[in-house]
Amino acid sequence: MPPTITKKISQQKVPARKAQVRNIEGTETSDFDEWRKAKQLMKPKDQLELPEAELKEILARVLVTTNPQKPDSLVEFSYKEGKFIDVPLPSNLVVAYRIKGAQIHIDTEDAIHQLIEMGYDPDEYRAQAREGIEEEVIEEAVPEEVEEVKEEEVPAEESVKTEVEEEEEEAPPPPKEAEEEEHGEGEDEDVDVDAKSVAEAPKGRKKKLTNQFNFCERASLTYNLPVRSQEIQTIPPPRANFSALVLQWVIYDAYQKDFEAQELEKELEKERREKEKAVVVSRPKVVRKKPGKTQISEAVKMRIAEGWKVLERMINQNTFYDIAKDYRYWEDPADEFREEEGTLLPLWKFTYDKVRKNTVTDIEWNPYYYDLFAVTFGYLDFVKPIKDGAICVYTLKNPSYPDYICMTHCAAMCITTHETFPYMMAVGLIDGNVMVYNIQQTCKEPAYRSNNVTNKHKGIVWQVRWAPDLPDGELNFFSIASDGRINNWVLMQNELAATTVFMLYLPMDPVTGPDGTYMKMRGSACCVAFHPKDPLIYLVGTETGSIYECSTAYSSMYLFVYEAHHMPVYRIDFNKYNSDIFASCSADWRIKIWEHRRNEPLFVFDVGSSVGGVKWAPYSSTVFAAVTTIGKVFVFDINVNKYKSICEQAVVSKKRNKLTRLAFNHNLPILIVGDDKGCVTTLKLSPNLRIMCKPPKKQQHLDQFTLQCMKLEKLLALVREPVTLTPPPDTAGTED
Amino acid sequence: MANEVEDTLKRIQSHKGVVGIIVVNSEGIPIKSTLDNTTTVQYAGLISSLSDKARSVVRDLDPSNDLTFLRIRSKKHEIMVAPDKEFILMVIQNPTD
Repeated sequence: MPPTITKKISQQKVPARKAQVRNIEGTETSDFDEWRKAKQLMKPKDQLELPEAELKEILARVLVTTNPQKPDSLVEFSYKEGKFIDVPLPSNLVVAYRIKGAQIHIDTEDAIHQLIEMGYDPDEYRAQAREGIEEEVIEEAVPEEVEEVKEEEVPAEESVKTEVEEEEEEAPPPPKEAEEEEHGEGEDEDVDVDAKSVAEAPKGRKKKLTNQFNFCERASLTYNLPVRSQEIQTIPPPRANFSALVLQWVIYDAYQKDFEAQELEKELEKERREKEKAVVVSRPKVVRKKPGKTQISEAVKMRIAEGWKVLERMINQNTFYDIAKDYRYWEDPADEFREEEGTLLPLWKFTYDKVRKNTVTDIEWNPYYYDLFAVTFGYLDFVKPIKDGAICVYTLKNPSYPDYICMTHCAAMCITTHETFPYMMAVGLIDGNVMVYNIQQTCKEPAYRSNNVTNKHKGIVWQVRWAPDLPDGELNFFSIASDGRINNWVLMQNELAATTVFMLYLPMDPVTGPDGTYMKMRGSACCVAFHPKDPLIYLVGTETGSIYECSTAYSSMYLFVYEAHHMPVYRIDFNKYNSDIFASCSADWRIKIWEHRRNEPLFVFDVGSSVGGVKWAPYSSTVFAAVTTIGKVFVFDINVNKYKSICEQAVVSKKRNKLTRLAFNHNLPILIVGDDKGCVTTLKLSPNLRIMCKPPKKQQHLDQFTLQCMKLEKLLALVREPVTLTPPPDTAGTED
Repeated sequence: MANEVEDTLKRIQSHKGVVGIIVVNSEGIPIKSTLDNTTTVQYAGLISSLSDKARSVVRDLDPSNDLTFLRIRSKKHEIMVAPDKEFILMVIQNPTD
């Protein structure tokens, strides 16, 4: 085993270089080992097992010089002679391997030339060589890689190796034993060579020869590694059966999900970039809520609540199925046979247990949702005060329970709903406070509340009205109270800021007080109505029965005074079609229709009891309705009858209940009225109460609005007194 | 919020004509019921598969659409179902009462 031996040598001689040698030889060793191992493995199973004796038996083999394959008596047909002739036998020589030597004899011309070239003296060199034990050979054309090694630092080692290699190459696959022997000798030789080359070292490096004719090529045959094959079977992967139905929406959902994931990825990327920027700018970090588990459950809770809400409405729809049908389809057929008269059909009744004793103090339809209305509960009978009040927002879809309930600490007296933000509700209370609820956020606490001590009215707040938003977008509303003040409240960041717009005074001389002081008498406001077209102008009804026309621009004087009633004015309402016309109602049993800046009313109707509310119908310019304390609802159409109501109907029991307020729905033929037992009744107007204008034959193109305006105008022309009432001078002769 | 839901539930329960209320979670297991055990299980199983099918119908006609509510009117009852991904709410009412 040559490698191991070489290793031994190197270990003995230069232990320091061990590592290096191993590097060179190591691979060979392992290769061989592997090969041998493979060989062992390949031993066939059915190999003959020989006993020890047989194994040790020496089998003699004789080598002869005759070639057994050589043909014996070759003949060839000769055409020339016309017979077979013997062919001379081929020689016994068989060339198995041929290599061209690279050695030159020291005495030849070439060698001498080379020595001179290399800088030796040929004679001296020859003498030295003869002296030596070893025959000298000039080496040349050593493989390049070996030369490199030589150049570095291991001339001795290298030479050993080359020797070995050369020997190996010269006898390619020798029998193992012989090889070993040879190497045993080689070992001795190597030592000598080593010693010699060490001695030679100081002579300097050999020059590289340029002679191309001395080029030598060597070839060697390596062992043929036996072909091996190995097979491995892996465990088969687990299998499962899966089946699903793919529908169009499944695919749609999958795509949607993928799209969302992509969007999220983009968002995250953006965030990351922003974060990187933020590090540079170091701006305050915005804490963003992550859609965690708690929030998801919150969303589910919302959906659950929503689901129950709708289910409750469905149940109610089933329960009040008849009413719902009436509400939608019942048109009183008797109307066809009645002239100038109509009826009201009671539909749902809205009650809430907690406010069963309270009086309905205000009713207002939501300007955005046609089926939603807000009701305030307080009390009007000041002999029997009730401690708390409430605001309930009902929907026609659920008559059994209010959608939103806001309990207030004292009786609520009035409410107004913002037009663009239909969830913002301003409320006036009996103790002079005003509050603003955002029912979308919470019903438990008002979003804004006036200061209980410094910033409030000093009397009952009778009416609140939202004003057009301020130029910078702040919401604001007006409130009027029995202390005679008209305040404008602005919703600031977290508080209500009040400005007194007007202070009502009585148009009379100051009365003398104690110690010769003079006091100006204050008026007491009961209701307010803003001009639909001019937001500066508003009308104030007072306890003394006068109606003052004021402007928010002037706070010191009245624009006009109507001596309207003899008792407190409860409500004023502008006509929906002609803003110069308004109606007022009062505790003096009368409803009066006024024209702007005209001292006398156009119409006066006496209904026999105190009138709590009056409202113009949204669908007609001449229809209005009123409620009275004896539980009756009156509907007038001054186009049909100028002297009498066209409908007078007791809605609640006369003895027990009083009606307080009413409101027309904006698009449905429905009227709601509130009574003093906390009950709101829905009434459907029969066809006779809502007669629409028919366009005249020549003017078919006119729309309903113009027709309604024309109808009112025509009526007013009849009623208006002529401008001059001075009778023309009697020209009839009275001479005598 | 939870209070509000509880209140609504109580109101529905006490509403006249309401036979029962069942809440089923996303796995089809009834988690709240006012009916007896066997009826509840039966309703839960049948209605959840029906609402799945109904949703599939609606979604298949228009994938961007979705089922929101389901009302089943029978001779004796009306079953109102509010199906959702996470839950199914059911109310059984006897509307003629």
